Amino acid sequence: MIRRFLKGRAARKLRRNKLAIASMAVISVYVFVALLGFVGVISQASTQERVLPDKTPGWLESKPVDDRAADAIWLADRIGARVERAREETDPEAVRRLLDEVSMAERSIIDAPFEEIEALYATVQAELDEMYEVFDEKDLAVDDIISSQLRIQRYRERDAERFADRIAEAEQTIAEAQARVPDLSVAAESELDDVEAALESLMPTPDGLRGAVYTLRTCLGSDNQGRSIMMKALFSVRIAFQIGFVVAIACVILGTALGAAGAFFAGWVDYGVMYLVSVLSSVPSLVLLAVIVYIFFGSPIFDNPAERPGLALVPVYAAMGLTFWVGTCRVIRGEVMKIKGLEYVQAATSIGFGRVYTLVKHVVPNTAHLMFINFALLFIGAIKSEVILSFLGLGVKGQPSWGRMISQGKDDVIIGFFWEVGAASVFMFGLVLAFNILTDALQDAFDPRHVD
Amino acid sequence: MWAYIFRKLLYNVPVYFGALLLVFLALRVQDPVYAYLGPEATGEEVERLRQDMGLDKPVVVQFGVYLSNVLTFDFDIPSWNQKGYTVGEILSRSWIPSLSITVPQIALSTVIGVLIALLSAYFRGRFIDRFLVIAAVIGMSISFLVFIVFGQFFLAALPQEEGWEFAPFAVQGYEHWIGVGGEEGWFLRPSVWAHYCLLPVLIGVVVSMGYDTRFYRAVMVEETGRDYITTATAKGATKPKIMFVHMLKNAMIPVVTRVMSTLPFVVVGSILLEMYFSIPGMGREIITAINARDFPVIQYFVAVFALIFIISVILTDVLYAVFDPRVRLS
Repeated sequence: MIRRFLKGRAARKLRRNKLAIASMAVISVYVFVALLGFVGVISQASTQERVLPDKTPGWLESKPVDDRAADAIWLADRIGARVERAREETDPEAVRRLLDEVSMAERSIIDAPFEEIEALYATVQAELDEMYEVFDEKDLAVDDIISSQLRIQRYRERDAERFADRIAEAEQTIAEAQARVPDLSVAAESELDDVEAALESLMPTPDGLRGAVYTLRTCLGSDNQGRSIMMKALFSVRIAFQIGFVVAIACVILGTALGAAGAFFAGWVDYGVMYLVSVLSSVPSLVLLAVIVYIFFGSPIFDNPAERPGLALVPVYAAMGLTFWVGTCRVIRGEVMKIKGLEYVQAATSIGFGRVYTLVKHVVPNTAHLMFINFALLFIGAIKSEVILSFLGLGVKGQPSWGRMISQGKDDVIIGFFWEVGAASVFMFGLVLAFNILTDALQDAFDPRHVD
Repeated sequence: MWAYIFRKLLYNVPVYFGALLLVFLALRVQDPVYAYLGPEATGEEVERLRQDMGLDKPVVVQFGVYLSNVLTFDFDIPSWNQKGYTVGEILSRSWIPSLSITVPQIALSTVIGVLIALLSAYFRGRFIDRFLVIAAVIGMSISFLVFIVFGQFFLAALPQEEGWEFAPFAVQGYEHWIGVGGEEGWFLRPSVWAHYCLLPVLIGVVVSMGYDTRFYRAVMVEETGRDYITTATAKGATKPKIMFVHMLKNAMIPVVTRVMSTLPFVVVGSILLEMYFSIPGMGREIITAINARDFPVIQYFVAVFALIFIISVILTDVLYAVFDPRVRLS
């Protein structure tokens, strides 16, 4: 049957569509990533561990000098606290355990005797002290400029002519300070480089295979708790597929069953189905989604993201599954209405096949193309709704998802940090665009009425 | 015609009844008082709230009270979360902000969508058409939230922070109805409206543009194949004339139906825009209520939304029948 399908006119048309093939390739890459998530290669733990200082930008963008200095101080303190405690320990294993607490993913303190590490840490501190001096000097110069400017302003307000010489004096100070600032900035940066180099020799960036993994983790930077944005975005692919698949399959099954039954059996069955459809579509879908999620609020089983993150998705499935089947039901009902009158259905009836048998064996398979198209549409719909629900605080909990990334990262956008929102947007855009193109191609190929 | 309207009304009465029952039951699956107060509540508090809302009575009586309150528009029920306000007060203060976003949004997106669709159909198969089709697909693939986050940053937050001269939009917020003369009136002054609402409206228009143009373009393209177009061409009418006079008139039916079917959206408001830009409309109220487990507000707001939805469905059907008399007989 599959071979016959592949030889069919529609499948040929689909295969000739280059965009559709490209989008299928993109989707299969996403499927691969999602599978990695399911298998556990991309684990939830890896989205929660610290890989970098807070809010580090990704590729090709570096933080301003002051922020880099703050990060270096932060890292030195982080190491320092453990080194202090390790001094009290005698057991080398306990020392190592303490030092490993500093590790950020693959990047950890070098494997060396404790004395050597202590020596390296001392270098870091020495470099830090030098850096503080230069930074203090620079701060003083900047303070000089500001206070002199204020003084000039005050003199001018009182009596510019009487204080002329004092103003000149202040201007002199400003000029001197301004002359010093560029040099000091350069010096500060080179001191900072020294500190970073010292930290690097204490805690080297890994190379080889581990280095490649570390680069992958850090290539999109870190969020406001130092977690890897790349890992979060990759893990979210799995969440998106999970939600998309469950919702789309549930809706296609429910919609097809009810729609086909309603159209085929007519009478009270049809009235019942259409009544249900009307009732459900008379409440705005977002409000209906929210009300269904409300049912699960506070439930120890389904609203317990800390302990059961998987089950915390059930409200989302339930809300979308009970809401979105309505559209599929309408489409399938219309198609079955049409098929019902065709000769082959009449032939099946006249041979003496039962009504249920005819419906299942002869009518429903002929709506397969619509089921397929609706599956793709629902899949995208579910992913997009997840983002909106998560933003409203009604969606995914306890696990990363694109929606949660966008709603967590939106406050950082105001201060110009785009990486988290950007990563989630781009990942989602790729998947949804590929699905949109594929759906269009499917409709072109299978639905003769579809307008190109 | 009247028979048709009557039939439609009659059909929708049980539908509304069903919607109310659905909401009524969904909100009672778990104890609403417990959901609101949490596990630390004292028995006394729970009992008081339960009696206030009549939740201690039999379910049938509760539904009767609910039904009669909704049908007599008696929303004089105190909110749990917003102390000192009744559901009716919340409703009456939130519908205008909703309308001030959604009415301009629907008007603008319809006009622009139809124009772009006409353009696309006029140049069908040529570069402009292809470009517009691709732009629509790309626009549809970007999340609503992404449009909002970046729109707010680049058009409102960044210009204000940098102190640019062109910073017309507020980052978020809303001012309550200030009349043209300065006294309390019904509508916002245009400049104030533009300051708070124009950016959300524009973002809403851009988001709906992808869906709208695709729909309208399909309508237009289908219309170009009709016999009357052939006739007009044979008579020697120019292409622009065929497009804008003959075709636009005939394409009005699906356009009007689509606008009508987005009417419910007018009143519910774009929930997302209201949430993000802190516009105190109905959508924001219901989401806030759901997050705060504010049971009375959820219960009655959903009833109002459903009523508005059903009325607009009836209106759509009736309008459709006005345009296309064949529908009346079916």
